[in-house]
Amino acid sequence: MTLRLPDQRLDHWRDRLPDLLSRCSQPIVDLDCGDWVLTCSDLADLCAAVSEAGHQLGRITGQAAETVVSASALGLDASRSNTPSSRELQPNPVTTAPSELLFHHGTLRSGDHLQSKRTILLYGDVNPGARISSAADVLVWGRLRGVAHAGCEGSTTAKIVALQLRPLQLRIADVVARGPEDLPQAGLAEQAELKDGVIAIEPAVIQSFQKR
Amino acid sequence: MSTTRTILICSGKGGVGKTTTTANLGIALARQGAKTVVLDADFGLRNLDLLLGLENRIVYTAQEVLAETCRLEQALVKHKQEPNLALLPAGNPRMLEWLKPKDMQAIVALLERQFDYVLIDCPAGIEDGFKNAAAAAREAVVITTPEVAAVRDADRVIGLLNTQGVQPVQLVLNRVRPKMMSNQEMLSVDDVTDILALPLLGLVFEDEQVIVSTNRGEPLTLSDSSSPAAQAYGNIAQRLQGEDIPLMDPSQARRGLRARMRKLMQTRIF
Repeated sequence: MTLRLPDQRLDHWRDRLPDLLSRCSQPIVDLDCGDWVLTCSDLADLCAAVSEAGHQLGRITGQAAETVVSASALGLDASRSNTPSSRELQPNPVTTAPSELLFHHGTLRSGDHLQSKRTILLYGDVNPGARISSAADVLVWGRLRGVAHAGCEGSTTAKIVALQLRPLQLRIADVVARGPEDLPQAGLAEQAELKDGVIAIEPAVIQSFQKR
Repeated sequence: MSTTRTILICSGKGGVGKTTTTANLGIALARQGAKTVVLDADFGLRNLDLLLGLENRIVYTAQEVLAETCRLEQALVKHKQEPNLALLPAGNPRMLEWLKPKDMQAIVALLERQFDYVLIDCPAGIEDGFKNAAAAAREAVVITTPEVAAVRDADRVIGLLNTQGVQPVQLVLNRVRPKMMSNQEMLSVDDVTDILALPLLGLVFEDEQVIVSTNRGEPLTLSDSSSPAAQAYGNIAQRLQGEDIPLMDPSQARRGLRARMRKLMQTRIF
């Protein structure tokens, strides 16, 4: 029988695993990882949980190449399932459908790090020493004075928009830039995006908020 | 149930004036008639007893109280001149690992039965010492100086206090040099409150008298000193008690007597 990990968007597999295992009746269990990207240590934990429940892992299938590589590294019988991973369907750019928006209310203080695969809309400030990173866009309805990373999984079309853009450092995909030294013009929202491989800051345009 | 206010005095960065503030606020509150205890949670490097001039009177610590080898009354060190103020060291400097957050809560619960104010002098940093001290606090006063590093650390500490549900958190800006501020050589009050976004409980000007009084073991607020820092601590204590005292204005502070006289002449009294 096959153990199917839950949908990434609904539940974390670690939370659902005990429940899923308790429903298994046969000694040998195949594992379908879906589109989860699992590291070696994730998979080792998974194996341990499976054997603790008195089962044995059979074949492992997954849509993400990383998962299959990690599983093979652990000496498991792993193969790629046919359905292509959703990440590879649209590698770049990352789409920003409304449901893929993470909304956070509150100021990020020094030492905080807000991370998401989704576009982040922050209602508050990013203080110096704080970080905000998203696989898609970073939108700050407030003052951005810390470090912002948009497209942290490689999307080069990602943008950083803030009501007051005065960051210590900006990163888009793999490109890093120091923040501007001088004060930005008051009352002007600005955005940063990649232009010819460099991060450029300019007044925010309304399109940047719309679905691309 | 209890109306005791348990206030954590913290800063993140060291050397910005947590202990000095705790000692002076403790004395000022006690002089205003509130039964106050200062709890030294920075007992690894304990200084609060030095500042209060009580070093030689410490016999027991809260550790012995919780172990029931002595009564709370025996461990509390009453201040010589200010009977409303007591000091309690949280622990023995050689047994740092002993204290856990629940012990701290137990100590504070004991103190809350008989005091109006419990001021907790927090150690610098954000490690176990800070977590222990913060575990027992209901509200907090964050001390910072107008320096980038101190403000950054204060910001981090405020974030941690928010996650622990300590409310309200207020700000004291310490060691303000009005002249440097007006020359824009130092962060301004607005720069600091802009980043930290907290209500300002008080401004304390840099004052050489603080060093003198610290070494002597007699907090400034103990005498009716006219030094600016003593006044500032007095004002902060009054604001803590809910009185509405206007903040000092650093741009007015450096003006000499003559300028003040001139201003007085210009004011239309009649």
